[in-house]
Amino acid sequence: MTRRTIIERLLLAVFAAFMLAVPWVLPALVNSFWVSVIAEILIWSLFASSVNLLYGYVGLLSFGQALYFGFGMYGVGIGIDQLGLGFWPAFGLGIFAAIAMALVSGIFAVRLTWHYFAIITVVFSLIFYFLAVTQKGLTGGDDGINFSLPPTFTLGSAQLSFTNGTFQYFFILATVTICLWLMHCVTRSPLGKAFLAVRDNDVRASLIGLNVYGLRLTAFVMAGFLAGVAGALFAFFGRYASASYMFYHVSGEAVVWAIVGGAGTLFGPLVGTALFIVIRELVSTHWEHHSLIVGVMAILVVILAPRGIVGLWRDILSRITEPVDLKRAVETAELRTDP
Amino acid sequence: MSEPVLRIDNLVKRFGGLAAVDRLSLALPGGRLHAIIGPNGAGKTTFFNLVSGLLTPDSGRVFFLGRDITGLKPHEISRLGIKRTLQIKSVFPQMSVSENLWITAQAGNRFLHPFRSAARDYDTAERVERILNQIGLAPLASRSAGTLSYGDVALLEIGMALISQPRLLLLDEPTCGMSPAETERAVEKIQELARSIDIVIIEHDMEVVFEIADDITVMAQGSVLTSGSPTEIAADERVREAYLGRPEDEDYVEEAAHA
Repeated sequence: MTRRTIIERLLLAVFAAFMLAVPWVLPALVNSFWVSVIAEILIWSLFASSVNLLYGYVGLLSFGQALYFGFGMYGVGIGIDQLGLGFWPAFGLGIFAAIAMALVSGIFAVRLTWHYFAIITVVFSLIFYFLAVTQKGLTGGDDGINFSLPPTFTLGSAQLSFTNGTFQYFFILATVTICLWLMHCVTRSPLGKAFLAVRDNDVRASLIGLNVYGLRLTAFVMAGFLAGVAGALFAFFGRYASASYMFYHVSGEAVVWAIVGGAGTLFGPLVGTALFIVIRELVSTHWEHHSLIVGVMAILVVILAPRGIVGLWRDILSRITEPVDLKRAVETAELRTDP
Repeated sequence: MSEPVLRIDNLVKRFGGLAAVDRLSLALPGGRLHAIIGPNGAGKTTFFNLVSGLLTPDSGRVFFLGRDITGLKPHEISRLGIKRTLQIKSVFPQMSVSENLWITAQAGNRFLHPFRSAARDYDTAERVERILNQIGLAPLASRSAGTLSYGDVALLEIGMALISQPRLLLLDEPTCGMSPAETERAVEKIQELARSIDIVIIEHDMEVVFEIADDITVMAQGSVLTSGSPTEIAADERVREAYLGRPEDEDYVEEAAHA
């Protein structure tokens, strides 16, 4: 094992241990409010991952992912409030609604690239934002839909639901972990390599036999899935669904989080989201212009570390470990050739 | 005589008022290395774009081994076995050299597994390894393709052509921008390839063309001026007028014809 993988695995283990200990450590160190901040960071980082899958792995910059987040949210809200669904069917409805919407809009959107693609994604999300605001009967308009939570698990008379803060946290942690793990698998798979080829050079990709349109659409639907899961989780977390989360401003924030954290890396969006939400929580109580800090930081990162914070960290890590690893590789090679 | 590898029937492509390819008809028999030459703007690259599906013709048809491929998408044409390189060297810059070969080997598959780890595909890994050794890029296998030297990118392109197991290979100025030593190496590889694959090559370097081509087609103003063996082409008056008319080029052709 190289020194690099040792360091990376150690870090991952420490991080995992921290995430598992959050419901006990944070209330003891600061207060229990921070447990729900971490839960919120997890949900939003899943949303930023959907931008990341499109931009970092397929090269499509979407400013409309909030649409699928909103569909996930409304699937849950309408499912519970108007259709009387339980937790799991409502969760499923939210994810299904997001995927279906991503498929329908993707069929049109992925015909285009770059700014045309960015514009059409914004247009789609604006159309449905205004629809959601005006269709008061279905969506509750500006007020949104408030609903009471059905239980997640029922075992005899015992019930587990999001009203239990610790359960809520672990449910969110588990769901986000599963989604990121799925994304990790996809990026390592033949399909993931094909995504990278399309991102790097779409003309060449088509000439070697890759169906560029099909691959972009696949990625778009997958990104819709991630955004939909995030939206559904956020609906359960906030006990409401609202059109305001479908506005393109929300999409834009996810783009900033993903790029600052490091597009094209699995943990980039998590790092970016965590950074900006923690800043917001710390500063906003003292100073109302906290978004100024966000703007300045975003500009600094884009200029100084174009591959984001995770990219910067990887460069530093290579610089520290590569000489050592290289030396060891050479030594083992020599050992092998020596009789 | 069997069905030609590539048969072009009255192909037309207009850009606005300009007919870049104008009623082009051509039949390329298999088993030969075919070169297409012609002055700038003769429509050579447009012709390749029409065959490989990057452009759709306004009229006319393209047949590959007797099959009508007119209007198919680039990836569909590629999956039939027509592979091409681009005039400007073009690989996947942020992927490593071996990843470039890996995805090229896999790209023809209709289904790309979304969850199985690519690293566990030992069959493809072995093929990549073999090609890396064959083109001499094994020491650079894990470098990103974007950091390679120009000559190495050209080698990688040839490797990608090899691993994709083409039936017909279209090479668009493969030696453009290469040093003499690099050109020599590339020409060697192309000749080696030509023994098992049908190749059509667009080339500006007359020395290269007359060295490797079995047949030469001369294009001018979007259509075929003439076709023939290198000696016939070198002796053709019309070719001299259209393309090689300038005095400094004349020496070139004579030199090449006598070589």
